[in-house]
Amino acid sequence: MDELMYLAPEIVVVATGLAILLAGIFLSPQSKNLLGYLATLGVLAALFLTVKSFELLTMQGFMVGYSIFSDTLNIDALSQFFKLIFLVVALIVAIAAIKYNENSDHTEEFYALMLFATFGMMIVASANDLIVLFCAFELASLATYGLAAFEKQNPRSLEAGMKYFVFGSVSAALMLFGMTFVYGATGTTSIPQIAANSGLLTSSPIGLVAVVLLIAGFGFKMALVPFHMWAPDTYQGAPSVVSSLLAAGSKKMGFVAAFRIFIVALAALQPDWQFAFTILAVVTMTFGNLVAVSQTSVKRMLAYSSLAQAGYIAMAFAVMSPLALTGGIMYALAHAFMKAGAFIAAGVVVWMVTSEKRGNLKIPDHLDNFKGLGKRMPLTAFSMMIFVFALAGIPPTAGFMAKFVLFSSTIAAGMTWLAIIAILNSALSLFYYARLVRYMYVLPPEGGKVSEPFPYAIALLVAVAGVLAMGIWPEPFVELATNAAMVLF
Amino acid sequence: MIPLSFYLGLSALLFSIGLFGVMTHKSGIRLIMCIELMLNSANLNLVAFSSYTDTLNGQVFALFSIALAAAEAAIGFAIFMAIYRMHDKINLDELNLLRW
Repeated sequence: MDELMYLAPEIVVVATGLAILLAGIFLSPQSKNLLGYLATLGVLAALFLTVKSFELLTMQGFMVGYSIFSDTLNIDALSQFFKLIFLVVALIVAIAAIKYNENSDHTEEFYALMLFATFGMMIVASANDLIVLFCAFELASLATYGLAAFEKQNPRSLEAGMKYFVFGSVSAALMLFGMTFVYGATGTTSIPQIAANSGLLTSSPIGLVAVVLLIAGFGFKMALVPFHMWAPDTYQGAPSVVSSLLAAGSKKMGFVAAFRIFIVALAALQPDWQFAFTILAVVTMTFGNLVAVSQTSVKRMLAYSSLAQAGYIAMAFAVMSPLALTGGIMYALAHAFMKAGAFIAAGVVVWMVTSEKRGNLKIPDHLDNFKGLGKRMPLTAFSMMIFVFALAGIPPTAGFMAKFVLFSSTIAAGMTWLAIIAILNSALSLFYYARLVRYMYVLPPEGGKVSEPFPYAIALLVAVAGVLAMGIWPEPFVELATNAAMVLF
Repeated sequence: MIPLSFYLGLSALLFSIGLFGVMTHKSGIRLIMCIELMLNSANLNLVAFSSYTDTLNGQVFALFSIALAAAEAAIGFAIFMAIYRMHDKINLDELNLLRW
């Protein structure tokens, strides 16, 4: 019973999901709107419980953490920090989806899948055993395949879901194949025991095979460059609320799993994977930023910028100092706020274009539809401006603080060339972010003022509050991220 | 007793056939079959390692992965069914609305 207490946030999330799924059977489409509020309440309660769990950890000292259920799950500063990220993203998505699912017949399916995906991500953050990690990873992936193809009548959404499914299941197979070799060489699936037996991995070529397969498997989820093909298509075609969940939440799941597998379990093979991640980080950020420049669809542009951001976070693996991991973990939270908000803002414009039936209807998130948004929807335009400036790393936003910690740690570790590449990339990214702001504020509007639906406005405000809070008052976030990084050393 | 490397060779071969199929085939059904092949080669690996390292974790892992592979195929077929209803075929080459 005591052990269940530590899983209270997960239990709340999954119980809410089940309750919504059941309640949906008996409700009429109009009263199904209530389910969105129920999901929001559930996520809020889980968020509250996660924040409370930090107090429990502080009492025991952050370094220790708890191992529960025969060492298969770890409750420590790292897992709780990433649960915070997933729940914040789930909160923003749940609020925005109240409007997205308005008067839909499939509301309960959307929220149940979304909450189960969040549950899977939270378990991945805690996983201390390869079996648990793989099952939770698949739970989150399977739920999001369904969400990406949620609009069954929309060919773009179906195509996005199909591509995500094909690449996702290939990556799952690669990951599983890699895990079998880790298990075969060490004879155990428990992550601490793999770390203890890692001498067996370094002494045979099997270890190297496992590293290559695992990097490919996690690389698909993290959307690092040679494995990124699905990401732009899926983020563009999927409903905006789902893109927001994928880019902000599901991508971080890949990172936390990679933290646990590479840094803890495969620490003995560090030279091999560190070299691979250095190359991947440089290629990913450069490719993402270069291709984003020429995009005319805003969601696709955000997808490529999301690739670049994954490249920055992957720098934590390349540098591997405690400060760099702090920066990477902080960047994960900052990116969650910025990207979730930016995709929701793009979703508001898509909603405006499709409900007004004016503008570029074929590509509803086309840059032209953002013309004069500052006059048409002041709140959305202002939030979008905050998000893109944060993504470019302009103070006083979350993006600046995270980039500051990450890049300064790179220089402190003596990898100045990597820091220079990253800073040049940030400068390049400002070009396409500023272009979006020019479209929103300088070009003349093509239509009258539209007022945002209430749920969208609340979701945007939550994200803006997060971005600004992390930028203006970063101390608590730096402290939490430092404690999380200490778990890995 | 058959040496472990024989099992590993067979599973590596199955995995490669699956990966090759995923990259070359255009039909959604064949694609799912190839993905199943890749997942099942991993299961073969797990069971072989489990028997040669005298631990049971691998067999438990294989059971979980069989169940997950079934769930994955179900979701995949659901998505392909929806595509079939819209396009009357599942030729993945013709799904190219999203591109740069």
